[in-house]
Amino acid sequence: MLELRQVSTKYGQIPMLMDVSIKINPGEAVCMLGANGAGKTTLLKTIIGMVKPVSGEVLFGGQRIDLWPSYKIIRSGIAIVPEREGLFPKLTVENNLLMGAYYESDKRKIAPRLEEVLTIFPRLKERFRQKAGTLSGGERKMLGIARALLAEPQILLMDEPSLGLAPATVNEVFAVIDRIKKEKKIAILLVEQNAQKALSVVERGYVLQKGSIILEGSTNELKENSVVKESYLSAAG
Amino acid sequence: MINKAGAQLSRSLMAIAVSLGICLILYIALVSPLPITLLVLAIFLGLIVMGERSGGIEKIYAAMEEHKGEALVVAGIFALLLPLLVSGNNYLLHVVVMGGIYSIIALGLNFQLGSTGMVNFAPAAFYGTGAYTSAVLAVKFGISPWVGILCGLFMAALLGIVFGFPALKTRGYYLSLVTIALQVIFTLMIINTDWLGGPNGIPGIPGYEIFGFSFRRPLEILGMRLPYQTNYFYLVFLLLSLAALAASRLYNSRIGLAWNAIEQDEIVAATQGINLTKIKLLAFSIGAAFAGVAGALYAHYTSFIGNEDFDFNKSLVLICMVLLGGMDNVAGVILGSLLLTIIDEKLRDFADYRMLMYALILIIILIARPQGLLPKRNRKYQIKQDNNEGYNVTVTAGGK
Repeated sequence: MLELRQVSTKYGQIPMLMDVSIKINPGEAVCMLGANGAGKTTLLKTIIGMVKPVSGEVLFGGQRIDLWPSYKIIRSGIAIVPEREGLFPKLTVENNLLMGAYYESDKRKIAPRLEEVLTIFPRLKERFRQKAGTLSGGERKMLGIARALLAEPQILLMDEPSLGLAPATVNEVFAVIDRIKKEKKIAILLVEQNAQKALSVVERGYVLQKGSIILEGSTNELKENSVVKESYLSAAG
Repeated sequence: MINKAGAQLSRSLMAIAVSLGICLILYIALVSPLPITLLVLAIFLGLIVMGERSGGIEKIYAAMEEHKGEALVVAGIFALLLPLLVSGNNYLLHVVVMGGIYSIIALGLNFQLGSTGMVNFAPAAFYGTGAYTSAVLAVKFGISPWVGILCGLFMAALLGIVFGFPALKTRGYYLSLVTIALQVIFTLMIINTDWLGGPNGIPGIPGYEIFGFSFRRPLEILGMRLPYQTNYFYLVFLLLSLAALAASRLYNSRIGLAWNAIEQDEIVAATQGINLTKIKLLAFSIGAAFAGVAGALYAHYTSFIGNEDFDFNKSLVLICMVLLGGMDNVAGVILGSLLLTIIDEKLRDFADYRMLMYALILIIILIARPQGLLPKRNRKYQIKQDNNEGYNVTVTAGGK
């Protein structure tokens, strides 16, 4: 469904991604492991059109989207949970959620979606009319994910959902991701450093290093791989 | 049940009382000499600050929101009777008319400054565009001022789009600098274009006429003779009501939500599928359109316009009105505009020290209340809970 073909990206003269090719099928959860500065966030920005690739193609649902403006790409069915959630702190939880369904032209569809999302995130129902800036770290993360779900995307991109959270909260977040994967049947691209957690919810994964994909394989293959073991699993294991 | 009805009634009465109180404060500020005006303002400011400390103001806000209708009717009746109350004092009416005109511009400016967080230093240029468009059409081509008002609206909005499209590639301080440039260019262009009267301005602009009744003739109702400003007062009041209605509809729509989102984080707003260029341009062009209407009104009200009516100072004053009243709050912006217009007029006694005093008063008010008189509120809740059966979404007025 989402496919990157030989995508290269540069920030000025500095190459960030080199010939990256990945493919995500409908309903499939895939993770992208990588250290700081490997180009994970750049990869997501490239997919949603905030950074334009210098070469290669991005395809979504059979259409080439890399030349589209961001809002058009987002509206075609790609939702993103940005790094550190990217909430609107001075707007209420409710309004933050409604921003997720911003481009839905049929307003009647919004209420049932909200209902559904709030059953996954009961905490947000309690905080419904509070400003997003007053939420705790875990709640903020949940709100970020809930907002993305309100767009009813075909694919959900997540930028380091475990970043800056306590281990117990990380477990909660990943439980939610697992639930979304099972209930909503949407494709997920999970960009993470926490390999152990990430590999527990996905089916396949890629490893990004210095802007190139150095490894790809199923969850089990990655878990057994020496590079992954050494770089991403050793500390945890 | 009776208790509930009683509480309803008392809140309704409170809303009416507050609305009447604000009208009276404005009225006293308008008719009294400067020292009393300042005293009244100081008391008003003190009340707000104290109300905030004790938390009582939240109750008033809630009551006002709940009984908006009653409060507005009271304010409306007060405005309708104002010409009688000032017993035909045409100078005071003139001040109120100018206050109304500035309110319309400030409401438009608020879309950019308050909602979207784009500091536009050129509201007076858009105001001037409306004024010059309508004036030139009337004086040189004999076109009716009523058509002129629409042309003024259109031209200002067009300038907003033409200028906004390249300017919105910049952000923050840089955008402000570009708007300052527009303001300076506008003033210079007016001065150096002979066809537009150059430094001499455009004199002899005709007034509005309706069914043969000229707005420049005194109004006679029930045997009373009211100065001609009364006609303009009612016209401005009508247009201001329309502008306020449009502004609050926009604020509570999805567009208003998108503006607020852009103000908080432009990049994240883009990741929610907002077309940044379109929505920001909308803030610019609608704001400019408001200013254009106000400009056309002004031209046909005063019958003479010159470049000094639309210079950088005017832009600064307009920005102050939005800042003082409260960003992103329709009632606050109107209150701020009316108050500053009144203070400005009262300070005429100080002649050379006028701007100095003006700035001083502004600084004192903003030290006491940096967020403005009526600050930005949590956005109106858009989802109602009915009998615990879940949430019922009422997204008012949509659009992308």
